[in-house]
Amino acid sequence: MSRPFTILVAALGGEGGGVLADWLVEAALNEGFPVQRTSIPGVSQRTGATTYYVEIFPTKGVRRPVMALIPSPGGIDLMAASELVEAGRAMQNAFVTAERTTLVASTHRIYATSEKMVPGDGRYDSEKILAAAPQLSKQAILFDMSALAQEAGTVINAVLFGAMAGSGVLPLSRASCEAAISGGGRGEQASLRGFALGFARAEGGAAALPAQTTTGIAPQVDRVRQDFPEPLHTLLGEAVARLNDYQDEAYASLFLDRVRQVLPVDRETRGAADGYPLTSEVARLLALWMSFEDIIRIADLKTRSSRFARVRTEVGAKDGQPVVIVDYLKPGTEEIADILPVFLAKRLRHWQKQRGKPFSFGLKLRTSTFFGFLSLRLLALLKPWRRKSSRFIEEQAAIERWLGAVRRLGLASLDRELVMEIAQCAAIHRGYGETLRRGRQALAKIFDSLLENEAATAKGIDAFRKAIRNARIAALADPDCAQPAPAKTAAKSVFWMKQG
Amino acid sequence: MERSFKTEVGKLRLGKGQTFTGEGILAVTKALLQSGVSYVGGYQGAPVSHLMDVLADAHDVLDDLGVHFEACGNEAGAAAMLGASINYPLRGAATWKSVVGTNVASDALSNLASAGVLGGTLIIIGEDYGEGASIIQERSHSFAMKSQMWLLDPRPNLPSIVRMVEKGFELSEASNTPVMLELRIRACHVHGSFECRDNVKPKFSRLNPISKPSFDVGRIPLPPANYSQEKHKIAVRMPEALKYMREHKLNEFFAGDIGEVGIILQGGLYNTVIRALQQLGLADAFGEARIPLYVLNVTYPLLPDEVTQFCSGKRAVLIIEEGQPAHLEEAINSILRRADINGPDIIGKDILPMAGEYTSEVMQGGIGGFLQMVLPDGIDNEHIAAVLEGVVAAKSRAAELLGGPVPVRPPGFCVGCPERPVFSALKLVDKEIGGIHISSDIGCHTFSTLPPFSLGNTVLGFGLSLAAASGIGPNFSKRVVTVMGDGGFWHNGLSSGVSNAIFRNDDGVLVIMENGYTSATGTQNIPSTPGLLPNEGRQISIEATLRALGVTWLERVDDYQVGKVADALRRAMTTTAKGLKVIIADGECMLERSRRSRPIIAAKLKAGERVVRTRFGVDPDMCTGDRSCIRLSGCPSLTIKENPDPLRVDPVTTVNNGCVGCGLCGEAAHAAALCPSFYRAEVTENPGWLDRLSHGIRQWLIAALSGQSGQGRRTS
Repeated sequence: MSRPFTILVAALGGEGGGVLADWLVEAALNEGFPVQRTSIPGVSQRTGATTYYVEIFPTKGVRRPVMALIPSPGGIDLMAASELVEAGRAMQNAFVTAERTTLVASTHRIYATSEKMVPGDGRYDSEKILAAAPQLSKQAILFDMSALAQEAGTVINAVLFGAMAGSGVLPLSRASCEAAISGGGRGEQASLRGFALGFARAEGGAAALPAQTTTGIAPQVDRVRQDFPEPLHTLLGEAVARLNDYQDEAYASLFLDRVRQVLPVDRETRGAADGYPLTSEVARLLALWMSFEDIIRIADLKTRSSRFARVRTEVGAKDGQPVVIVDYLKPGTEEIADILPVFLAKRLRHWQKQRGKPFSFGLKLRTSTFFGFLSLRLLALLKPWRRKSSRFIEEQAAIERWLGAVRRLGLASLDRELVMEIAQCAAIHRGYGETLRRGRQALAKIFDSLLENEAATAKGIDAFRKAIRNARIAALADPDCAQPAPAKTAAKSVFWMKQG
Repeated sequence: MERSFKTEVGKLRLGKGQTFTGEGILAVTKALLQSGVSYVGGYQGAPVSHLMDVLADAHDVLDDLGVHFEACGNEAGAAAMLGASINYPLRGAATWKSVVGTNVASDALSNLASAGVLGGTLIIIGEDYGEGASIIQERSHSFAMKSQMWLLDPRPNLPSIVRMVEKGFELSEASNTPVMLELRIRACHVHGSFECRDNVKPKFSRLNPISKPSFDVGRIPLPPANYSQEKHKIAVRMPEALKYMREHKLNEFFAGDIGEVGIILQGGLYNTVIRALQQLGLADAFGEARIPLYVLNVTYPLLPDEVTQFCSGKRAVLIIEEGQPAHLEEAINSILRRADINGPDIIGKDILPMAGEYTSEVMQGGIGGFLQMVLPDGIDNEHIAAVLEGVVAAKSRAAELLGGPVPVRPPGFCVGCPERPVFSALKLVDKEIGGIHISSDIGCHTFSTLPPFSLGNTVLGFGLSLAAASGIGPNFSKRVVTVMGDGGFWHNGLSSGVSNAIFRNDDGVLVIMENGYTSATGTQNIPSTPGLLPNEGRQISIEATLRALGVTWLERVDDYQVGKVADALRRAMTTTAKGLKVIIADGECMLERSRRSRPIIAAKLKAGERVVRTRFGVDPDMCTGDRSCIRLSGCPSLTIKENPDPLRVDPVTTVNNGCVGCGLCGEAAHAAALCPSFYRAEVTENPGWLDRLSHGIRQWLIAALSGQSGQGRRTS
């Protein structure tokens, strides 16, 4: 060979990328090959993206070659990435090229802060990377290494190393690689297990993409079958089950009555051909809205046996191992007023207004203990009472207002895009505390200034649709993430001390 | 420290004929001992931290040789330490991260360079320039020039680096001038090997101290000595340096058959240049290049005769120097002009970029562009064009297929970091009062300037945040908040910021992040580090220091108690008390704490003792996906996943297995009244009989009374 074999490893701080680079060096030295590695640790060690660069000259007994310290675009033989977007970054920088590069990458995602902090869904579309990888590389070996690492009880670097060796392009024997790991001391056995799993999987060759599983539930209510077209059955079945569980059968029936009101609009806008998109969306959002999260609901969800089981699995508790669950709750006047009858809620809110400062109390409730469990369970038993609660009454009114707008404007315009836009406004209504309060205000404003304002339609349907869309997006965005920063809210009246 | 350097310490003992294998910066460490240094000082920072770390662990080796090692208070201290070599024949070395460290050190450096040295002094500067850098991007070269210190930039392989360390001391002594050795970040971390020599016991050292002081008024920067020192630099020291460089062939010439062109390059860029030539089909794997190269292992001063010799008879010469201003290009042009050589075109920053790192891609483009411009005989222009276009095509194809840039992933606070909750609190208070001006400092806490916090308006240097608040404070309608780490406090903050703020009775708020170490550089000790061993130093309390200075408004808060931190901030912002208001945010660096506690817990588990481990979780059926919690945290273990609820389309927030149970999630949920989704789970390992009994009773109770999940409702 007349040039070194070049390896670039992309990893995140704390994933053992440095150890992996050491293994590569050790394995190359085991073979008697000249090798060089370098890296740019610095602060990128602290959870950021970083790379390790290794060159191996796969010939024994030669004089020392001059090896590079910086990877070259178009000059990488083996690109390894411990995470999918890091593989994408390597492609973006042309470290993956069809003439030369074997790409070995894990398909799991570790989301960047910029993806996580966005309300709703800010995730980068993984499909783009998965689709581009085989096209941009000579060979792409992609699978979920994180899962294999977990299976082997080790860190992802071992699985990645195994996959690199198993790809068949690494000019190092399996024995040399395993010997390199064996010198590593702590966690050696687990690393070797991970290496073997990665090796086997990569040797299997072809890109194995994670299968998307969609789960569905058979419709449970006959009425759904009788009254609604087939494409809606699964969704409505799911929703009915949810509302049965949330309140009672009558409430679930009310849901179906409401959904039925929208069906004609869907038909009028030729929705039947497309699987009733409007009815689906309305039903989905309506079911979520109707099962709004009040204290009773939270208390109920927190004290289910299925929840205790789920937490045990999530924290990896073994059978019979004691697990104490402490819930962080902070109900305030608003949440308490929500479950009171209207006249009492009014008083409480009045008191709150006079007091000025919001009142709430932080609870760290040990839900898995006798007292903690019983207090929440008793709250959950208030379920039948919910129909009399102030929030229940308010929410039903708001729901009717929304459905009314969908029906009225839908039938009037017969514009599917417009009516979908109106339907999706329901998503603004969500969350707890401050988020909920802001959402409610924003929604009310959309009704007042657009949906129930004759003048708003004057500029034509396109402008009207656009106005609703903009208002909805603005309402869903958070001030921290929104592109155009909304005007800052006025400072609270605090007395600022200045010297002099 | 973040890790142990036991293996590396062993390598420092290697003797003649043995092979050292390891990192570049550790090779430098070994080379210092081979050069017979009497003392070494420095201030930690990437990429030279390991030099300090390994020496801090190498008591035995240093004791045997009598070498004094000191982790200095800051770079100015480290540079001042080199004053030992002004009067005495002691070899000494100092190290720091540059350009920032050189900035801090520059007062002492100027004085050192002016006085001149008797013993060889070497300053090892780790250039944090280009990819992965965490500091301002400037050249250290300018410092060398303005103070007339010689600047070495060796080829980035271990034998070359080691040779230049050894030669650097000799050059320093031959010319009575301090010498800087510049290493780029990748050279510091390059893994390679070299053949060792024996360590050399210094003539004078702790083991054989100097007994008589040497006084020479000529070494003091007062008139008239200061004037003669400047003249001495030019008249004597510079010519001596040039003579040494020429005689010992510190710079290298590599011949090539395409003689009508040539490349002059900084030694540190040699491997990248060779790789670019290889890609363009003009060099082989062993560095045999077809274009003549003049490699500057010494980039200041330049040897005029070598430069003219290389350039004479050439049509064009490419100057490859990273960073700006283009000192080399200007100097070479000037040398040729003075020598009346007007032949070759000198090409540099007109084809290579003026600013930014010279990566492989940049180098390939620059050299390729140069050759395409000059078109010397014997090159394959088509091949060069194809290589250059290949990279552009690959990038644009990837961009097209990916449909836009992938998300960036800057560094951030570690999982469980005690500093994160302080910024959660600060963010809450900032929102409440409609915006605070925050003067930030250097350290892990600088990550607060990135999303999701985006807190911190300026960074002016290490330990300078409080001083930086003194201009804006009186001109801002609300109190200004200053954030400073304990590392910054001891480095410079105490003198430049705190004492003056107290003296001037400033009305600011100072938040000191007391995590016990300089964590960003690898958790090295500082004066306030808890639990120091006797040989590590004597602890000084920041709180006691501040009180002794006269701070009266001082609150100490537990970092993880978001609500309490926020309350303290509110009080500090609204109190009528005059003078500096200090909040000490108390929380030991999680890396250090877990480094200590991990083996203890492992031992307990092994011994079958009861251990409770804690982690947090989110109930997916209660999370509505507005992500307020993530915007108040940014913890890597607080993330998102597919929503198990078929009716919800957005992902659900979740806590992954990386969670260390620091408590921020719960505290933030409380402090900001977020949502009821968060829970803490306490899992008991090796439970006792009482644990098992109460667990049994609870299980029975829950089974008997709990709500069953409704039909079709999935909760996991």
